[in-house]
Amino acid sequence: MECREIREIISAYVDGEALPEEARRVEEHLGGCAECRTAEKRMRVLGVSVTRTEGAVPPDFRENLFARLEKEDLLPKRRSIFVYSLRWAAVPLAAAAALALFLLSSREPVRDLSPTALRPPQVSATGEQLSPEDREIVANLEVLEDPDLFDEPEIEEMEIFIPSSQQRG
Amino acid sequence: MRTDAELMEFYRKGSRDAFEELFARHHRRVIHFCYRMTGDQARAEEAAQEVFLRIARAASTYQPTARFTTWLYTIARRTTLNYLRDEKEPGDKVPIDVTGEGREGTDGISLPGPGDWGPERIAWGAQLQERFVAALQKLPEGNRTAFVLNRGEGLSYEEVATVLGVTVQAVKSRIFRAREMLLAELSGLLE
Repeated sequence: MECREIREIISAYVDGEALPEEARRVEEHLGGCAECRTAEKRMRVLGVSVTRTEGAVPPDFRENLFARLEKEDLLPKRRSIFVYSLRWAAVPLAAAAALALFLLSSREPVRDLSPTALRPPQVSATGEQLSPEDREIVANLEVLEDPDLFDEPEIEEMEIFIPSSQQRG
Repeated sequence: MRTDAELMEFYRKGSRDAFEELFARHHRRVIHFCYRMTGDQARAEEAAQEVFLRIARAASTYQPTARFTTWLYTIARRTTLNYLRDEKEPGDKVPIDVTGEGREGTDGISLPGPGDWGPERIAWGAQLQERFVAALQKLPEGNRTAFVLNRGEGLSYEEVATVLGVTVQAVKSRIFRAREMLLAELSGLLE
């Protein structure tokens, strides 16, 4: 194949776009053609050079662009810090409110701490109003008031029983 | 990490953060592309700003089925074209070979011989870089865009074809022609 005919394929080969069959032909040709090898090298250098061609990003580029976008109403505005604070505070505020409601609704009635209320209940001395069970309790009050009466006597000594067969050994 | 398409969808629904993320991801490549296409820093900045404004304005027309970067470069290319058209003066920036635009053949400019550019002489210093940028601007727009999108922005031939609205074979020819013209333009520098 003539060099002029294969140069376009070499260009695609350099870009990694040659078909497998084309790549094989290019490699075969480059193996025997110094002129095309140089051409291939130069093509690669041009590719590197375009990647080195870069524009600079000015420091105010973003600021200027976003100002223009906002002017044209193309950019949603940032919410104020107050709105954000409210959004983030909403959950804990709701939880606190729910807790307060729960505490208020489940609170026990206020105890009557007056001296009359704190006085022990009065039992009729005559026993006329007592039921038979009450009378039995009153009769055994002495026992109930002295728990020691239920205690077992202290064990001074303990006898250990040893079978006679083991005593011999 | 969210895809570009997802971010566009969020932006369309009113998310400022989504647009900020898209900007953070792509603003450098847009500026580089605009600079490679215009060869001028100030115009590149203006064009890049316009690209993002157009993206924001056209967000509702974006189809998530299209690759975002392809859509982005389609907008970027049209924007830079408008800038070049608006600011072009008569006689200014005449392409090396206007008739070569879209030509599929390989006739015409031939590469310099092996003795002209030995590999040891290829040292891309600042001066050569400057000359390269100038040579790039002399290319017909179709060749320049194809070459820049492929070599500078990393788009495949197929993606370049989508951006330019041409066949893959046409992209292949345009890139080869761009190389031929650049080598012809820069060869004198190293002789």
